[in-house]
Amino acid sequence: MSDGAVLAVRDLRTVFPSESGPVTTVDKVSFSLGAGETLAVVGESGSGKTMTFLSVLRLVPPPGRVIGGEVLFEGADIATLSASAMRSIRGAGIAMVFQDPLTALNPVFTIGDQMLEVIRAHTGMGPRQARVRALEVLERVHIPAPAQRIDDYPHQLSGGMRQRVLIAMAIALRPKVLIADEPTTALDVTVQAQILELLAELRSELGMGMVLITHDLGLVAKYADRVAVMYAGRVVETSPMARGFGQSRHPYTRSLFRSIPRLDLPADQPLTAIAGQPPDLARLPAGCAFEPRCFLGNGREDCRNERPALSPTTSDRHLSACPHWRTLLDAEPGA
Amino acid sequence: MSAEVLPDTTADTVPRARIVRRILGRYLRHPGLSLGLFVLVLLSFVAIAAPWLAPHGPTEADLMNTLAHPSGEYLLGTDQYGRDILSRLIWGARISLEVALAVVALSLTFGSAIGAIAGYAGGWVERIMMVCNDILLAFPGFLLALALVAARGSSLENVILAVSIAYTPRVAAVMRSVVITIRPRPFIEASRAIGMSSSRVLLRHVLPNALPPVIVVTTVSAATAILAEAGLSFLGLGVQPPTATWGNIISDGQGFITSNPLISLSAGLCIAVTVIALNLLGDGLRDTLDPQMRRYTGERML
Amino acid sequence: MLRYTARRLLLMSITVIGMVTVVFFLLRAIPGDPASYMLGDYATEESVAALKAELGLDRPVWEQYLGFVKRALTGDLGTSVVTGQPAFDEVLESIPWSAALSVSGIIIAVLAGVPLGVMSAVRHGTFADLFVMLGALIGISFPVFWVGLVCILLLAHEVRLFPALGASSSQDFFTQVHHLMLPALVLGFSVAAYIARLTRSAMLEVLGQDFVRVARAMGVPERRIVYRLALRNALIPVLAVIGVTFAWSLGSAILVEAVFSRPGLGSMILKAVFARDYQLVQAGVFVLASAVVLVNTSLDIVYGWVDPRVSVS
Repeated sequence: MSDGAVLAVRDLRTVFPSESGPVTTVDKVSFSLGAGETLAVVGESGSGKTMTFLSVLRLVPPPGRVIGGEVLFEGADIATLSASAMRSIRGAGIAMVFQDPLTALNPVFTIGDQMLEVIRAHTGMGPRQARVRALEVLERVHIPAPAQRIDDYPHQLSGGMRQRVLIAMAIALRPKVLIADEPTTALDVTVQAQILELLAELRSELGMGMVLITHDLGLVAKYADRVAVMYAGRVVETSPMARGFGQSRHPYTRSLFRSIPRLDLPADQPLTAIAGQPPDLARLPAGCAFEPRCFLGNGREDCRNERPALSPTTSDRHLSACPHWRTLLDAEPGA
Repeated sequence: MSAEVLPDTTADTVPRARIVRRILGRYLRHPGLSLGLFVLVLLSFVAIAAPWLAPHGPTEADLMNTLAHPSGEYLLGTDQYGRDILSRLIWGARISLEVALAVVALSLTFGSAIGAIAGYAGGWVERIMMVCNDILLAFPGFLLALALVAARGSSLENVILAVSIAYTPRVAAVMRSVVITIRPRPFIEASRAIGMSSSRVLLRHVLPNALPPVIVVTTVSAATAILAEAGLSFLGLGVQPPTATWGNIISDGQGFITSNPLISLSAGLCIAVTVIALNLLGDGLRDTLDPQMRRYTGERML
Repeated sequence: MLRYTARRLLLMSITVIGMVTVVFFLLRAIPGDPASYMLGDYATEESVAALKAELGLDRPVWEQYLGFVKRALTGDLGTSVVTGQPAFDEVLESIPWSAALSVSGIIIAVLAGVPLGVMSAVRHGTFADLFVMLGALIGISFPVFWVGLVCILLLAHEVRLFPALGASSSQDFFTQVHHLMLPALVLGFSVAAYIARLTRSAMLEVLGQDFVRVARAMGVPERRIVYRLALRNALIPVLAVIGVTFAWSLGSAILVEAVFSRPGLGSMILKAVFARDYQLVQAGVFVLASAVVLVNTSLDIVYGWVDPRVSVS
């Protein structure tokens, strides 16, 4: 894929053992992320979004296991690094911000204490020096009066403030890649926008590549440069955001888009829920995982028999795992 | 996180009978739980069938054969009065299980009632009830039981009563902490909103939801009761000789620990096996019933 | 923090008054007439009447109660019927023995139980975990007096490592410590088993929490995560029950003292029970329970200091 990518993942696979055989939660996932770029990863819950990036960081909770694939960080494969070398990349090279700021901070340590723990894990700084750095980054994420807040315990801060602290912790070591896993789901709507603006600002200031995991397509349109759509542990479409979802070349993306309410369409236009159940990862069909729910002529021979690969469509920046993507374009020529 | 990983395996296509079998299977596959259950069932059988199982009467003295070592006639030997140890152990199982059952019944009934009312009522009622409860909790349970037995006299009934009184506040404390976590849940508020009476809400909604921790508390208090009875009997304050209890068999053998160690050792092992079985059962139920309840039970049951 | 401390102290005074009440009614739990109970079956009518008057049993119950509370709070816990000494003095003589046993038992329990519990949680599911948990199961299930008997049999009679008696009349410090060791180990073992189980489950719960995952994702070394970040969280519930284990160990100490023929509050109470010296029983029970409350209150205050959420709310 694209050269000069700060993070490139190829054929990543993660499995969990279960009573009915191994379940592949991340199935040959490939994507790449450039410096200063924002990649949105969307999909229903259970589609493997979070698990993909936990696999990248090699933090898959046991009994899950990464069983294959390459993870190139700044051109070097980190999938084969030793545990301690991997640890020094976490936080300093690739950092992650999690969904729920209420549980992501340890309640019995001050926020300063927790930030120092991270900073000192990666640098030779003494406590004084590390504290200065912590104050700098707290200021950077626009926490008012950081010198007073730094000795607060998490319960003394609001949800939005705690997420800022976690972001501060994540950028304290100027990572090249920041993975934000649904960073605003647990927050009030007004605070959501502030946090996303902050992330966008930090990304351009620090030139980080950013991954925004979300199921909010509205956020994707506003903040992402490119989008990767996941379904049943697989990437089914990647496209530049400039094209918008109307141009999407996978029926799942189309269905996803049609199932959200929109302000730019007439109010009487019906919302369509995606037919059928999300797939059972332990019993995936041999062919396309979306085939049972697909609105494009159910039951095509090739869809059921052969698993379609992610391949270029009209441009090699827009990939789709649907061999019938042309039909989609014909069906909605005006879009 | 984990919700994102594992698909729901109990989809509505699975027939009910299979789900029931699967849940039952999960309990029985837990090695500790099934082992504990097996031992307890076996012990209950021994206790019930004592008159037929025991080769000799529990107080039948063979004065020609005092402090005998194990033989065909007396499998575990005899004590200083020539009584058969094995038979006394078998009869002793009755006392231990009787005490356990009675104490559990009493302390669970009163403890749950007190804890549930306090937790459900809240406010001043709760505060006053809990201060009273904390006062009783400040007394070491065994000490309180000992003082009560000392005052009321030593008999099976008084031992049961004393141990129950000593351990009821512990059940109440656990019960209250369970209830106050259930109280704010939406379905409770909803039932109140539609005008259900307090006692009805308590009986219909709060108690059934508190059941899993209560079951675990039951096993823990049964274990505690057996240990407390044995301790009291060992000190000579429990059920009085010549009635056979595991505690006073140990006490009888204490003087002959060097020459006839089997007397005390075997009785101690009986207590230990029973209590281990109860603890295994309790741990197993805690693991399988509801992992969330771990924090409410156990820690306050000493 | 100051208000929190003050509130704990207020609660402690209420509890102590409540305990005096319980102890008062303990004597009234004796069926029939306490005075003739204390004097036994051969007492004359005059001596019973005299004791009644001395104990104030001939006055109305509320008057007896108020008098008892007033005297108890000033340290007057009545007179031992057997020795004629003030009960409080008798109790005071036993306290050093009990304190030595319980405190060393708890110290052994914490020093063994916490590290073993942490190790068990960190190596969750391994052979070491299974081994420690089996040991802990034995510790909480075997009767403490029986463990004491077995230890005497093995370590005092067979191997002769320790003396069989839990006390010595010698003034020599090391001799005393040598006699204390076995009882303290026996008491400590059962408490350690309990603390290890609790520490393990607390630690497992903490290690599954989000903030641990965050720390891992930020590259904090595993050692720091376990032994600094997670340990403090896990120790909060452990600290909370050390008070409970203290109460428990005082109860078990009665049995341990009996097995090792060691003096102390427990064996004093036991002797008083058999001598029907009920004033002394009351005094002993009251002092033991007060010790529990005192320890619990101090622990609560420490607790508020460790867990910032407690003292604020």
